[in-house]
Amino acid sequence: MIALWLFGILKRRTARVIGLAAGVTLTAALLSTLGLFLTESGASMTRRAVSDVPIDWQVEAVPSADHQAIAEAIRKAAPISRMHTVEYAQTDGFEAQTEDTTQQTGPGKAIAFDADYGRDFPQELRWLAGKRSGVLVAQQTAANLHVGPGDRVLIKRVGLPPVAVIADGVVDLPDSDALFQGVGLPPLAAPQAPPDNVVILPLADWHRIFDQQQTVRPDTTRAQFHIRLVRERLPTDPTAAYSLVQGQSRNLEARVAGQALVSNNLGSRLDAVRSYALYALILFLFLGLPGVVLAVILTVSLAAAGLGLRSQEQALLRVQGASQSRALLLWLSEPFAIGIIATVLGLVLSFFFSHVSTSPVLAPANMLPAVAMAVIGGTIVVAAIAMSAWHASRSTTVVAAQRKVGRRGVPLWHRLWLDLIFLLIAGLLFWQSASTGYEIVLAPEGVPAASVDYNAFLSPLLFWVGFGLLTMRLCRYFISDGNPMLNLTLRPVSGKLASAVAASMAFQEPRLTKGIITMALAISFLTSTSIFNRTYEGQARIDAELTNGADVTVFGTSAHPAGDKLATLEKLPDVAAARTMQHRFAYVGNDLQDLYGIDPKSLGAATGLPNAYFQGGSANDILSALAATPDGVLVSEETASDFQLQQGNTINLRLVSASDNQYHAIPFKFIGVVREFPTAPRDSFLVANSDYVARMTMSATSEYVLMRASADPAGLAERARKVLGSASGLEVKAIGDASRIIGSSLLAVNVGRLTTIELSFGAVMAIAAAGLMLGLGFIDRRRNFAILTLIGATPRQLASFLWCEGLLILIGGVVFGLVSGVLTAWMLVKLLTGVFDPPPETVSVPWAYLLSVHILIVLSVAAAVLVANARSRRGAYEALRDL
Amino acid sequence: MPETLVEARSLSKAFQSRDGKPLLVLDQVSCSIVPGDRIAVEGPSGSGKSTLLALLGGLLSPTHGDISWPALGSRRDLQPLQIAFVFQTPSLFPPLTVLQNVTLPLLLAGQPARSKERAECLLALFGLANLTRKLPEELSGGQAHRVAMVRALMVRPRLLIADEPTGQLDTLTATSLLDRIFDQLAGTEAALLVATHDAKVARRMRTRWTMDHGRLSPGPGREQTG
Repeated sequence: MIALWLFGILKRRTARVIGLAAGVTLTAALLSTLGLFLTESGASMTRRAVSDVPIDWQVEAVPSADHQAIAEAIRKAAPISRMHTVEYAQTDGFEAQTEDTTQQTGPGKAIAFDADYGRDFPQELRWLAGKRSGVLVAQQTAANLHVGPGDRVLIKRVGLPPVAVIADGVVDLPDSDALFQGVGLPPLAAPQAPPDNVVILPLADWHRIFDQQQTVRPDTTRAQFHIRLVRERLPTDPTAAYSLVQGQSRNLEARVAGQALVSNNLGSRLDAVRSYALYALILFLFLGLPGVVLAVILTVSLAAAGLGLRSQEQALLRVQGASQSRALLLWLSEPFAIGIIATVLGLVLSFFFSHVSTSPVLAPANMLPAVAMAVIGGTIVVAAIAMSAWHASRSTTVVAAQRKVGRRGVPLWHRLWLDLIFLLIAGLLFWQSASTGYEIVLAPEGVPAASVDYNAFLSPLLFWVGFGLLTMRLCRYFISDGNPMLNLTLRPVSGKLASAVAASMAFQEPRLTKGIITMALAISFLTSTSIFNRTYEGQARIDAELTNGADVTVFGTSAHPAGDKLATLEKLPDVAAARTMQHRFAYVGNDLQDLYGIDPKSLGAATGLPNAYFQGGSANDILSALAATPDGVLVSEETASDFQLQQGNTINLRLVSASDNQYHAIPFKFIGVVREFPTAPRDSFLVANSDYVARMTMSATSEYVLMRASADPAGLAERARKVLGSASGLEVKAIGDASRIIGSSLLAVNVGRLTTIELSFGAVMAIAAAGLMLGLGFIDRRRNFAILTLIGATPRQLASFLWCEGLLILIGGVVFGLVSGVLTAWMLVKLLTGVFDPPPETVSVPWAYLLSVHILIVLSVAAAVLVANARSRRGAYEALRDL
Repeated sequence: MPETLVEARSLSKAFQSRDGKPLLVLDQVSCSIVPGDRIAVEGPSGSGKSTLLALLGGLLSPTHGDISWPALGSRRDLQPLQIAFVFQTPSLFPPLTVLQNVTLPLLLAGQPARSKERAECLLALFGLANLTRKLPEELSGGQAHRVAMVRALMVRPRLLIADEPTGQLDTLTATSLLDRIFDQLAGTEAALLVATHDAKVARRMRTRWTMDHGRLSPGPGREQTG
């Protein structure tokens, strides 16, 4: 019986079946794709986080500890792929003589790596000049001592006579923070700044020089084990990976208690990534869940579009003698059968979509969440349809079921003004979030746990719901019998038939309102998502620009300034502009900060300098003030606060003078606060006029060159590398390289891919909400339109009924959808401020995408109306007689 | 001789059945209708009465044969003013009230002036005065049928076609309905074509045609033309 029923439905109500199947497929596919996204994002975050950490564990032996026993304990605690020992020794400083000057530094460190350390931990050392082995001097130390390869450096040992060595090369220590961190410090302890002065010795030389110091002053030397774990065995989920690594680290601590201290760098990184994983979940909730809700609403609405016919079918079954339960069973068989098939189809579609959109094929275990979510999605939709069917069967008699839906009462939410209440609460919650600075993910520094302020979800959710209900209220008011505004609005399309058309639409108000709401939800969803995505992309680019400095940046040093190559670089093809920038180091009190010397009038030609970089004025205002004040300096907020600086105050900065290679105090005038600056690696830095810096330090060298590309930056970077050569000591980076570096953090969430999923599905849903719902509604009322034709309506008159309905849904849906979408986007950008670095000044609107989707929506509505018009006139008499 | 309202020659009509085979409903029917005719089409269920009426009313096109409306114009000119049709199945426009339904054809024809007064008058005449604000779903089957009749009479058609006009009425109401129809058409040259299986209704018509398995046999009063 059920098979017969289903076959009949498929044959006679093909459009309805297709509509329902499409909706369930869409919902299942969307949920499954989002599940794949979440799983793959987590895996991607773990991958990138892990690749960011050069040294997974640092185990520091206490003086006189048994190093072999410690090594053995390490091997037992976790699978190890690399282990090396590093010796550290404190020094009282370094000294060097060049020509007739003597340079001295403050206290520093002398370290030594064992054999093959550089091969296994290549991220610890970046060669700059001279030999790649032997005695290597850190870049800053070399600058301070004014030494290069071949120069003599005196190492001042603690409590012992100094020892001289010959520098073989100059290196950079990119991971100095980790290399010189305090191992085994309590979680809330302040991080230690790496030493300013470092010399790297061969292991044998280190022992020769410092073994004696180790005996005399064992507190000034130490040995560490640097470990890399077998990363292939880490779980893909960041939280699971963190738990595993943390557990192994604790196990090691227990084994080496009293003998060594452990620093779990990988665990710390994964711990931070856990909060990003939470952000991924938040983005899923904010951006993904509305899409899922919309898909469910759309599918249920599609199902409801045929409710009239379904009710009649059920009534006829009962007239023929079927019991209520039997009739219900037959009625429910349709959505269940469609649900199963469509869910499988949706799953297949999502795997195909993910595969085509360059997502790597995941292991079967990781696909399980996607399958589960597809099944959940399909089940939710089918359950919603089944509930409405059950409810309809309970509330109708046979006769009543044969009647069409007519006038309704006022719903409870309407009488209770829930729409305005929700909007009010949404506003209050949003204001509360604003007062806390929009901190959604709360990850206090040093505290392992990260928590999410879930209350923040409520404001956009309540706004969405409240605005939807308000739209329904306005629709009920506008599309009401006898409303002169409705007549007036319809007159341009329906002419003298306006009153009849208005009456017809008032009768259809529930259906029309549902159509407007569904379309408005769809447009709101894709508008808010696309605006958020465009804004995010824009900020991601700014972030990359900040890190890299410009489209292409040539990084040099004082010894090898990139500024000397400006003329060569400017001649390269696709260089829109090239400008030099000084990169010096200045002491502000005892704090060593980066100082950037610029030409404030012209730097903007080579790189973006948005207003958000500066405080207290636009970029133009601040840079003009700097240009007008030769000795002006911009400082960070923290520096201004620490030193209680007021506008115009003199601040003395100590910079190295080229005349004697010594630090000298140079007066600057504080003129403003700078928040961000191209290439600035830390929050505290200084920006000054390059002319003044050059004059006062007697050195006009510019360490960096920033270039704006008129074409592909990667291509320009490659040409720059070729023309400069590998032996120049200069490093060339394009903006794309910076994006990959930043990508260990929130960009690993791959908002772009999430929004690609959302925007693709959103466009499909919006077009379906428009055309499909309208079309199915017309099919359901084909008989009504047949009556109009048979009593004499001309094709044009019939068309006016259809067009009025289509245009009302279209215009209502678009207007309410756009308003809701723009406001929701603004709220999302504000609430998710933590996602952006730096925060955006305004939202960015993807006009091309929105315009193209809206054109498709209009075409979809037009197609639905034209098809319905043609079908209504053809076979009108047969349609009238079809029960 | 009055100009012929409808002229049909060798009309045949076939519908596509579910299994794809053609189902012949009307077979070589020829007939004509002139102003003032009062014609009843009788026959058992499934004999093709409704199909014949729909063809003559211009609502269907024949599969074979010719049909024309010499006095009324082309097919496009028939509705809503020339030919009014009262269908066997419910045919009121659900979103409109009774009053709006009966005035709809005149509104479609661009003649809404004074239609409301005439509509109220006719509705009162047919015992429907208290139902003007009701929606079709709030009417009984008989009431809906009478409203459809009023709608048809509103346009003062030259040919009124009614398919089983008394099918849902009791005998008394049916008699009263016919009386009112005849009253409204009296003094006009309007023709009345009624499909019925009620012998009492058929006896009140001057001409009686019989349909049997898609073929037409004209009764006394009018010879089959062609």
